[in-house]
Amino acid sequence: MSVTEYDVIILGAGVAGLTAGTFLAGRGFKVALVTSGEPTACLSTGCIDVCSRNHNPLVGIKELPPAHPYHLVPGETIIESLNNFQAAMSDIGIPYVGTEKENRLVLSALGTFKTSCLVPSTMAAAPQDTKASIHIVSFAGLKDFYPSYIISRRNNSKTSVYDAGVSSTMGIASHFEDKDFLKSFIIWLKEQNIDEDTIAFPAVLGLESAVEIVKTISTSVGKPVFEIPTIPPSMPGRRLFNALKDNFRKKGGNIYWGWPVIGVEKSGKIIEAVTTESKGRPNSLNGKAFILATGSFVGGGLTATREAIIENVFHLPVHVPGPRDTWFENDYFSFNHAIGRAGIKVDSFLRPTETPLENIFVCGGILADTEILKYGCGHGLALATAHVAAKSCMEYIR
Amino acid sequence: MIKTDVIIIGGGATGCGIARDLALRGIPHCLVEKGDFAAGATGACHGLLHSGGRYVVTDPIAAHECYNENLILRRIGEKCVEQTGGLFVRLPGDSKRFRELFLRGCEEAGIPAEAISSTLALDLVPNLNPEIEEAIKVPDCSIDPFRLCMLNIRTSQLRDGLIFTRHKVTEIVKSHGRCIGIKATDQATGEEREIRGNLIINATGAWANMIASLAGCEVPMTLAKGSLVITNHRLTNMVINRLRPPSDGDIIVPNEAVCLAGTTSLSVENPDKINIESTEVDTIISEAGRMIPHFNNTRIIRAFSGVRPLLKSKKVDAHEISRGFQIIDHQNGMYSIVGGKLTTFRLMAEKMVDVIMASFKLKKACETAEIPLDGQEELSGYPLSKRLADMKNIVCECELVSKDEVQRIITETGTRNVGDIQHRTRLGMGPCQGGFCTFRALGIMNDMSVISPEQSMDMLRGFLQRRFRGIRYALWGDQLREEQLVEYIYLGILAMEKPQ
Repeated sequence: MSVTEYDVIILGAGVAGLTAGTFLAGRGFKVALVTSGEPTACLSTGCIDVCSRNHNPLVGIKELPPAHPYHLVPGETIIESLNNFQAAMSDIGIPYVGTEKENRLVLSALGTFKTSCLVPSTMAAAPQDTKASIHIVSFAGLKDFYPSYIISRRNNSKTSVYDAGVSSTMGIASHFEDKDFLKSFIIWLKEQNIDEDTIAFPAVLGLESAVEIVKTISTSVGKPVFEIPTIPPSMPGRRLFNALKDNFRKKGGNIYWGWPVIGVEKSGKIIEAVTTESKGRPNSLNGKAFILATGSFVGGGLTATREAIIENVFHLPVHVPGPRDTWFENDYFSFNHAIGRAGIKVDSFLRPTETPLENIFVCGGILADTEILKYGCGHGLALATAHVAAKSCMEYIR
Repeated sequence: MIKTDVIIIGGGATGCGIARDLALRGIPHCLVEKGDFAAGATGACHGLLHSGGRYVVTDPIAAHECYNENLILRRIGEKCVEQTGGLFVRLPGDSKRFRELFLRGCEEAGIPAEAISSTLALDLVPNLNPEIEEAIKVPDCSIDPFRLCMLNIRTSQLRDGLIFTRHKVTEIVKSHGRCIGIKATDQATGEEREIRGNLIINATGAWANMIASLAGCEVPMTLAKGSLVITNHRLTNMVINRLRPPSDGDIIVPNEAVCLAGTTSLSVENPDKINIESTEVDTIISEAGRMIPHFNNTRIIRAFSGVRPLLKSKKVDAHEISRGFQIIDHQNGMYSIVGGKLTTFRLMAEKMVDVIMASFKLKKACETAEIPLDGQEELSGYPLSKRLADMKNIVCECELVSKDEVQRIITETGTRNVGDIQHRTRLGMGPCQGGFCTFRALGIMNDMSVISPEQSMDMLRGFLQRRFRGIRYALWGDQLREEQLVEYIYLGILAMEKPQ
């Protein structure tokens, strides 16, 4: 077995894990991040939902039920986490627009509005009301985007279809990275003689250069251009993940990619190491402190069996919201399924309660009582709790 | 107004069987169904073509009928029957006396049954519980109920039978006390259609009393709800039954790539208001797990319920009520045909059409047992190699359904209902249960302008609610994970609103 020493070991490469990792690495700590694969952030819209229940997300947070983990984050840390995020994204070249003081609207692929807080600049030009007319460009054979859904709600809108020669989200996005493709696309777009106020695209405008591509198209046709998030695979989600990952590496963080944790070494109240699989021999990563950011069920942090809910890495005690037949409401659209409250209960340092372990901190979607869909607080909560977990870690190590 | 000789209400196996029989005997007819084919008990059963074994102890006549029909259907409908064979397995603690009754019953009913050792049974089905004491081999088969209905209807369509699915009967038209026709509403457009006929056949299964009451008649019935679960894998190549008196969770049927396990039996009042209960799912899984232990760890993709239209009986436990059928002459030009089971649908249709022929004073013998079902040659299917070649156009990744196929069904059937596409292509039947592809299928319908975008939103909402009813009690493990992803897609990414 090979053994490597770190200050902090982070489990999970989502928004929470990478943010905590970057925070610590940027302050001189030796950080390793272990992930079994791509995070669910890649499936997301890339938007930072802070709290969608109130026009002012910070007011919305105050209105959340007392058990919500947002209440464990000091107000100034929430703001700090959003500011840090926006600054980092600007540095890396995929700027986000918006402020923590008010939510904004993102047009969805069904023509509805999704409420979010910080959104990728490629979605910034989305109309904030139903009046503006939109010209929707779709792509031949693209199976995850149907402009007619949007037109049903905005009958002053029109659509035209471009044949990119490929039909997948990823395929079209990589074509847009090609200068010649973009050039001939713009020629075609000009020929459409668009009268509408704005031009909308499914979010396929490039893999990494979306900001430039949107700017180029917008300048060429003289109209605002914006992207509409698609169902997975989601380019904006992938761009967000890549940016966070690059940022973490730039700060000196080390990623153990693609290997699940197969063992944990403990001594009394202290976790000493995690063991991951690797190509040759198991890898033992020793750390002074650990941050658990493995996400909820989709992310793989939690697994539900018929009898129980299990936390997959450390087998921490999981808060289970009642017997299995009460996990879901009968009404699909109730936005109140009890399963949304499953997760790890923590104290104000984000240390799990009901366990003697003292050098582990928990952040992101695996926390109990998040009810992320109900309150619209996914990535925002991940950023905020990642900051708290990282600070608790620093304090603990000192 | 449409005029015909016989109006059949109900597009389940019985109704479709009657349509085929009438077509073969040259009687003009029209079939009206409020949903799609096989929408009631026909499509909500385990798809077992009974050997009759299940009934030899409790209902020898039904058992004998089953075996005869089993032989006929294997002959005439080979493309919708899979000759899996079946085992009745006896577990430690199961009554040996029942075994004796079972073997004697099979002998009396003429059903070939062979007792085999547990070792041999495990050779045949390696997933079986190694603790079984013995097994009895019977000629059970699995059958595709939807395909069966479609093939029966094909004969009718080829001979000018008129078929209206998604049409709900709202009125039975009477004149001088006799039923002379029906009024039905097109569920998609709201358009009303009037159809006149000399006889009306009420083959609506669990809904028989509702239809009869439109004509002022009554059909005494007991409605018994049965629930089933579908696994994501095919855990056995043979039908596995429990060798004991009929009770909950005593059967596992392989069907294409999956298995269906059931059933339960609870009496209900209204066939339109049935819910699956958590305890039913748990019972089925633990009982099925006694026969095939791996069942406890396998991924369940959905649970569903059907309502058995049983003849009214004083017996309290619905497992014991006769599976026989009855033809009721309401003496006013309407007949109701109730009871029976999927396996004997052809026999039921034959007896019904015999009555119709007698009332028309016509003589032409039934041929449905001799002539193979029409249209089977077209069922060579859509081979995997071709599906993979079309991969670029695949809209349902779980079941490999292409966009072209969806468009073809829309064009050919003129359907405005995403359910019709699902039944005909298996779109949305896989592990994600339509989580990704229904959004796409409705988008395609939208693009083809067969439905308005408003309709597509309503359908998407309705679909999600219905889908959720089926998976709500099967949510743990990977299925829960999948469900959380789908919920995130619709409520998070697509920002679907609560229905008003």
